[in-house]
Amino acid sequence: MAALRELAALGRGDLVIVSFLGGVDVELLLQAGCVGELHSAGVSLEQAGLAPRFRAARESGRPRFVEWSEGALVAALEAAARGVDSGLTLSGLGTDLPALNPWLAEVKDPHTGAPVVAARAVVPDVALLHVPWMDRAGNAHVPGDLAVDGLLARAARRTIVTFEERRDLPAAAAALSRIWIDEAIAAPRGAWPSGCHPLYGPDLAEVGRIAAESAA
Amino acid sequence: MSAGGAARRTADLLAATLAEEIAAAGVRVFAVTSPLTVAAGLAARRIGAPRLALAGGFTCLDANPVPALTLGEAALVGPAPVARDWAGDVFTLLARGLAGVAVAPAQLDARGRTNLSGIGPPGRPRVALPGSRGLPDNNASPGRVWYLLTAHSPRTLVGRVDVVCGPEPPPGSIRRLITPAGLFSLEREGWQAIWLTPEGRDLLAGTPDLRVTVPATTPVRRLPRPRTLAALHAVDPHEVRAVEVADRHAARRLWAEHARREAGG
Repeated sequence: MAALRELAALGRGDLVIVSFLGGVDVELLLQAGCVGELHSAGVSLEQAGLAPRFRAARESGRPRFVEWSEGALVAALEAAARGVDSGLTLSGLGTDLPALNPWLAEVKDPHTGAPVVAARAVVPDVALLHVPWMDRAGNAHVPGDLAVDGLLARAARRTIVTFEERRDLPAAAAALSRIWIDEAIAAPRGAWPSGCHPLYGPDLAEVGRIAAESAA
Repeated sequence: MSAGGAARRTADLLAATLAEEIAAAGVRVFAVTSPLTVAAGLAARRIGAPRLALAGGFTCLDANPVPALTLGEAALVGPAPVARDWAGDVFTLLARGLAGVAVAPAQLDARGRTNLSGIGPPGRPRVALPGSRGLPDNNASPGRVWYLLTAHSPRTLVGRVDVVCGPEPPPGSIRRLITPAGLFSLEREGWQAIWLTPEGRDLLAGTPDLRVTVPATTPVRRLPRPRTLAALHAVDPHEVRAVEVADRHAARRLWAEHARREAGG
């Protein structure tokens, strides 16, 4: 979140944002007016309810929302990581998504002729990740769920990791090797108002305040 | 700390039904998505599925969650070490039919399709919802999917979803719907009642577009089985599961009470 605030402060209005499952991050970027296009499988404020800025954007059509399924976005990021133009997946088959998302195309498998979805590779220019700990060698440590952060780091051209603390930790326990990290920046409380397990949980009062402010 | 009697009974019924379904399903992994599903998954371990893995995220596929409000990682992953898997594994488990999941779509239709994208035409929502999320992946899976709805409402249970996020389930896959009206199975001909609650027939009359068949022999179930209920109370003694079912006013009060308790107050 600390990196996103810096990004928002740049005053750009044309950023293409990829947020696998978005929340306060997307709301803040939409509030700052810096999103030109948003790619995501879903955005909500979870316990604080639906995301008002995201809803308004979708209902008005501005900025453009490109709707993915989780599986199709994983296929697109995996394709990017492997350097191929498309990834094949069953995710989205038989749904309205291929009609809504030009990055998805229902095609026939070249070997069997069976229907399948080809997800165009998504290659972010920069992946911004936040982790609790960085070891002395520059490996990132995440004791909880890494979600798709490892995949984002492999798909992106550059990966910037912000971290809470530098610690002496064994490299073997790292969640993300320094191989995938281009830059590491200390940012204590950098996930706030989201949580950073196990150091602090989400600040639900602040998330609720942002939701109320967005809805106003 | 207590929910109202009706909310508690409904939460117990939904969670107990889900726990029994999970225990009988033979899935290796159950993906938890809310406090009530955490309680059901933990109870399932006690009533017949002791080796069941509970997925608390994309890479923590064998976690030991606790029923808690935020479902942040403190609850989903807990303090114990968790084996980490590749994010793609959750989709592998779904594709191979090894995982079960309970989902709560905004709309579910007569053919088992789901919607969490929006109300209105595809791409032009009158009311925008969060987005498809994992519904396409869940519904396409040959594994078990339970549609868990805390209200049996015509807003949710429709003839055709506005946006198809979850496709029609593959032939032969098992899909169950759990609501305050009872337990239902998606058959080739459409939804069919397995059992009803005492209010079930009245609730079904309010959702005609779902086109549920009720065989003449359909039993009425008044209470969860005692063994399942005991398991639920053991794994969720503070009844966090009831927050999902309570009305808005009661939910706000329960939320504040649970938040104080979870913060150590």
